Amino acid sequence: MDFISGAAPVVVFAFFAGVAICALTLLMLLATIVMRMIALRTERIDAHAEALWKPILMAPGTAAVTGLPALHRRDVRGFIEAWNEAHEPLQGATTDRLAQIADKVGLQQQLCRFLDTHRFHHRVIAVMALGHLKSDESFKRVLPLLDDKSPIMSLCAARALLQIDPQSGVPKLIPLIVDRPYWSQGVVASILEETGAFAVGKRLTAATLHATSDVAPRMIRFLAGVDPKAAAPIIREALRSSLDTRIITTCLQAITDPTDLVYVRPLLTHSLWFVRMQAAATLGNLGVPGDETLLVGLLSDQQWWVRYRAAQALLKLSFITTEDARRIQQAQTDSYARDIIDHVLAEQTIEVAA
Amino acid sequence: MSAFLAYWLLQLQWVFFAYFIVISVAYLALHFISVTTTIRYMRDNRAPYLPRILPAYQPPISILIPAFNEEQSIVSTIHSVLRLDYPEFEIVVVNDGSNDETVARVIAAFAMVEFPEAYRQRLPTEPIRAIYASPRFPRLRMVDKDNGGKSDALNAGINCIRYPLFCAIDADCILNPGSLARVVRPFLDDSTTVASGGVVRVLNGCTVKNGFLEKVELPRRMLPLFQSVEYLRAFLFGRMGWSPMNALLVISGAFGVFYKEHVVAVGGYRTDTVGEDMDLVVRLHRRLRRSKRPYRITFVPDPICWTEVPTDVKSLMSQRIRWQRGLAESLVPNVRMMFSRRAGLIGFLALPFMIVFELLGPLVEVTGYVAMVTLWLLHLIPLQSFLVFLFLSIGMGILLSMNAIFLERLSFQMYPRVGQQLILFGAAVIENFGYRQMTTLFRLVGLIKWLFSGKARSDWGRIVRDGSWQRSAPDDADEPPATGIREAIDPTATGAHAARVEAAK
Repeated sequence: MDFISGAAPVVVFAFFAGVAICALTLLMLLATIVMRMIALRTERIDAHAEALWKPILMAPGTAAVTGLPALHRRDVRGFIEAWNEAHEPLQGATTDRLAQIADKVGLQQQLCRFLDTHRFHHRVIAVMALGHLKSDESFKRVLPLLDDKSPIMSLCAARALLQIDPQSGVPKLIPLIVDRPYWSQGVVASILEETGAFAVGKRLTAATLHATSDVAPRMIRFLAGVDPKAAAPIIREALRSSLDTRIITTCLQAITDPTDLVYVRPLLTHSLWFVRMQAAATLGNLGVPGDETLLVGLLSDQQWWVRYRAAQALLKLSFITTEDARRIQQAQTDSYARDIIDHVLAEQTIEVAA
Repeated sequence: MSAFLAYWLLQLQWVFFAYFIVISVAYLALHFISVTTTIRYMRDNRAPYLPRILPAYQPPISILIPAFNEEQSIVSTIHSVLRLDYPEFEIVVVNDGSNDETVARVIAAFAMVEFPEAYRQRLPTEPIRAIYASPRFPRLRMVDKDNGGKSDALNAGINCIRYPLFCAIDADCILNPGSLARVVRPFLDDSTTVASGGVVRVLNGCTVKNGFLEKVELPRRMLPLFQSVEYLRAFLFGRMGWSPMNALLVISGAFGVFYKEHVVAVGGYRTDTVGEDMDLVVRLHRRLRRSKRPYRITFVPDPICWTEVPTDVKSLMSQRIRWQRGLAESLVPNVRMMFSRRAGLIGFLALPFMIVFELLGPLVEVTGYVAMVTLWLLHLIPLQSFLVFLFLSIGMGILLSMNAIFLERLSFQMYPRVGQQLILFGAAVIENFGYRQMTTLFRLVGLIKWLFSGKARSDWGRIVRDGSWQRSAPDDADEPPATGIREAIDPTATGAHAARVEAAK
């Protein structure tokens, strides 16, 4: 303290600020090391639980489960993680056997305990496990989590509800899919496809029919993924009557019925290039003899992408050979049209070679 | 005269002190935001809670690798990119008129053949010599063009790419298999995302095998070790702090994903700057703010890209001079955004912060050091005051570095051992005694060079590479899978995104 005695107040202030900063630095170093040590301890416990339980959970066969070790409180988290992992499609364990194990170790009670904690990870893995457990009484416990402010939690809850009771879960979930654009579309699609057309199709169709133009493109895409048959009439109607280009392009991507091409062909002359482009691509997938003439017309389009997709579509048509494409190329007066055929033919050669 | 000088130097003390307090508060606030954001991010991404996203919902991506005289590393980089764990991507290597064996090595390694590409020039570039494709690796193409600088190469690549999103990476970068999936996630979570970047880490000291990072270690030499601490500071709280405010002004040129149509709309990369990466992000902000369109430019704390840093002072100096010039060239043309209501937090916080603390910082710091030493030598301030302010300044520097180490601990723990953390802490302390002052001086030189020389041309910023990470585990070149492009592929890719852009207009 002698060092700063008699110094100006600002110097004294600076000195003590420096001391505080140093103390804070050391505190952070200490916190970093302590956190690391705690993490190491947790990792050790989890590794122990995994080493103990994973072979049991992953073991093949359907024989009755006997001689299970006791599930210690400190191993519960590791057990739940391993149990959830065993349900992943490629892990090979049968769910009946996993359910037996869950029953014997009293998993349901442990999951309820985990749901009541404030630790995010514990709550999410508990929700995931409740979904796999498919116990009816869990439905009410999981339902409120659909409104959790974390999209991870609410999506996990949505998945669990559909796993527990799809018939009751679907009516709860579909309105949320409509209202929550922030839910990852890829995850929602995955959950819907996992649940299957039988459980989801009807409600999803109804919601798609009533969707606003903002929501309709993603609903059509979900429906086409889950239940293409149910999507077909909606796609047809949208192509016939909609003026919204996002809906039109989504429908063009989802179309599977060649009889609907009657609505696609007029779109080849649409004023927006990406609609023309998408229409050309659709024609490539489903086109019939005669459509090649329409596609040839697009080879001279002003937009590179339209020319490119038209040339690709042309070569995709089952009745157009490479020689036909060359003949079409030679008949073109526009150099852009000739170049794009060269480009796509070269691409095709490379793909064949690969 | 000396009394006059002494008076002003004494007054300046207060300016430096006020500057020091403001910059410290600003950095601590950024640190606070970074900590809360990182905790939330890690909470949500600690484990794969959600079912795997269907491939049809993951947007296809074009990966752009501009290269100039990269014969040493280009083949290894392409191998590493080919092994990325992502459903749909293409790779476009752009050779910017290299005068070494870059083109020949790529052609030989990937059996490339000349391809009659119907090239479309949306962005002006130097002439294209040839375009190559690989029958064995249909995802790979190479554009060979006249030399025009890094920006020109990137623009030529943008002209060639097929997909709506592109990821520009440096030819000497090492990626993780999941890098692409992680940096693309913001585009899936929020459809208004137009660009995203991730954390770049220091490769020196690590071990690379088959183009992928096998073992993470700290550099053994001091200079790269100091830069490891700097990179943690710059990325983990420099950028993470700005991201939640949507005021991020830099996405590293080493690895960033952009929405192609927005980049084309702002005219692509500027060829008359050495800081093309930052310049692009600032112009994107400016255009999108002006159009009043909702958008996000975002940053993920995942360590997605590893790069070798300079191991000698000369390369470090040239790098820092270049960065400072780039910073000036990116900020000054956009200075009108400052305090503009339309520019929001960019105008009121990010730009003033970058200009006052990052651009002019070296000038203030060097003047501060010189003034303090002068005042002490003239006996105008006691040694006690001089030492106390030095103590405060160095203490704050160490605290900020410690914050970054703490954030590293909170996030991905790439340096998990206690020993590694103590080494990092040691480096965070020692770098304040010479290294920081040295880099501040380099940055000042960069600022002066920018002031007194004309516009620069986007160049390649060569540094002397140590390359020990490659020697320690040579790339034994297991061939990556020759997955075909399904691109023809998936016409949905472009259509949906084009529709989205059009709808947003």
